[in-house]
Amino acid sequence: MKAPGILKTILLLFLANYLESITAPAFIKIYVALPLTFLVFSGLVYKSSKNINPIYAFCLGIFVDLISNSLFGLNAMLFCLFSYVINSYSNTFKLFSYLQICIFFGAASMFFIGLSNLFLAIENFSYLILFVSFFINSGFALLITMSPIYRLSIDRRLSEYD
Amino acid sequence: MARVAPSSSSKALYFLCILVGAILLYVDITYKSFDTIKNTYISTTISTKFLFKKITIDPFIYLYELSSSKSQLINKNRNLQAALDKSYLENFIVSRGDKFFMDDEAMIALMNKYEIDQIFHASKIKLFDTTKYFCCDTHIMYIDVISSSDINFTGSAVINSEGILGQVISDNGVKKVLLLTDTSHYIPLEIEGYFCNAKGSGRPGIISCTYSSLIWTNPVSNGQKIYSSGLGGIYPRGIPIGYVQGITNIDETNIKIDIKLITNPLKESMLGIIESQ
Repeated sequence: MKAPGILKTILLLFLANYLESITAPAFIKIYVALPLTFLVFSGLVYKSSKNINPIYAFCLGIFVDLISNSLFGLNAMLFCLFSYVINSYSNTFKLFSYLQICIFFGAASMFFIGLSNLFLAIENFSYLILFVSFFINSGFALLITMSPIYRLSIDRRLSEYD
Repeated sequence: MARVAPSSSSKALYFLCILVGAILLYVDITYKSFDTIKNTYISTTISTKFLFKKITIDPFIYLYELSSSKSQLINKNRNLQAALDKSYLENFIVSRGDKFFMDDEAMIALMNKYEIDQIFHASKIKLFDTTKYFCCDTHIMYIDVISSSDINFTGSAVINSEGILGQVISDNGVKKVLLLTDTSHYIPLEIEGYFCNAKGSGRPGIISCTYSSLIWTNPVSNGQKIYSSGLGGIYPRGIPIGYVQGITNIDETNIKIDIKLITNPLKESMLGIIESQ
């Protein structure tokens, strides 16, 4: 897949951040943190056919820091780190099943939430949020991954009736 | 086509970027150097939203209301709601007049001395990051006064109809309010003649305070009412802050009490700023 342009990426991240800011207060009541902005960025890096430049990842991180009113450098650092991990294992991922990749993204988002909470919510650090988020994020990634397969299956069934 | 694993130079660049990110993070945590940029961005966002709404949505709403037979009633209802909100705030101050100010004369003298024509300045919430309010240690709100004012409100207390919410920590047009529950916020409290500095817990509606049982001999019980002490000069004395919700023995002498606040920043959008003296 060709990587989306800068403007499209920025817009996607902006929308994801907006969606995250709306959904987060509701999710946190059930001990779930869904880092949509991070998952969108990771998805883009994963789907891209070329390696993402570290400076590009850093700049996108700074942009997310600004729009999410977060500590400067937090998302920049984590975006760089995860783009490096995804780029390094991009070929290894081809050997993995969908489920394994989804678990990887669930674990990555858990790491992201954990590290973010170390800086943003150190006095209320909750392992419960981390564990619940791991399962929910893995499930969410699985849902996104499987949606085209279900759609194909539904299309095939519908075409049988025609 | 297969993607190539990062080369040594690419790895070095990644390392450098992560290092720069870590330095930025350290600088932001320690010196809060990027607060100006963040505040400017938020002010710009709020102004843009306001302008965008005024140009695009408001004319349609106005036209719709103009054509509707109920428009007058809607306007009346809005005005009444605003007046009601304002009266709640006024009542809050009047009912605790002797607590805010020792007596009426003191209040008038203070208003004359500092040329204050209003007890409080009615303001509205412009931005409240509820995500961080529920998840994180930072509890910040951005508000703006309804009638334009040249006064710098930095250091002023912010109230709603239930009581004290926090204080203005910076005023660049839009006022940045640090809520009582923010972990960097401290409020001096008084419990039956004893004093303690209560720190925000980072949890919504909870602040906590630690004291030594060697100095503070009277036992504290759950449900006991806590008041502001007036020390520090930011918050007036004798305002009810909350109730004791939990008591924890840290060690043999130190006891930590959790205080459930009586105010809820999510309850209403109409607030008041009390000018700092």
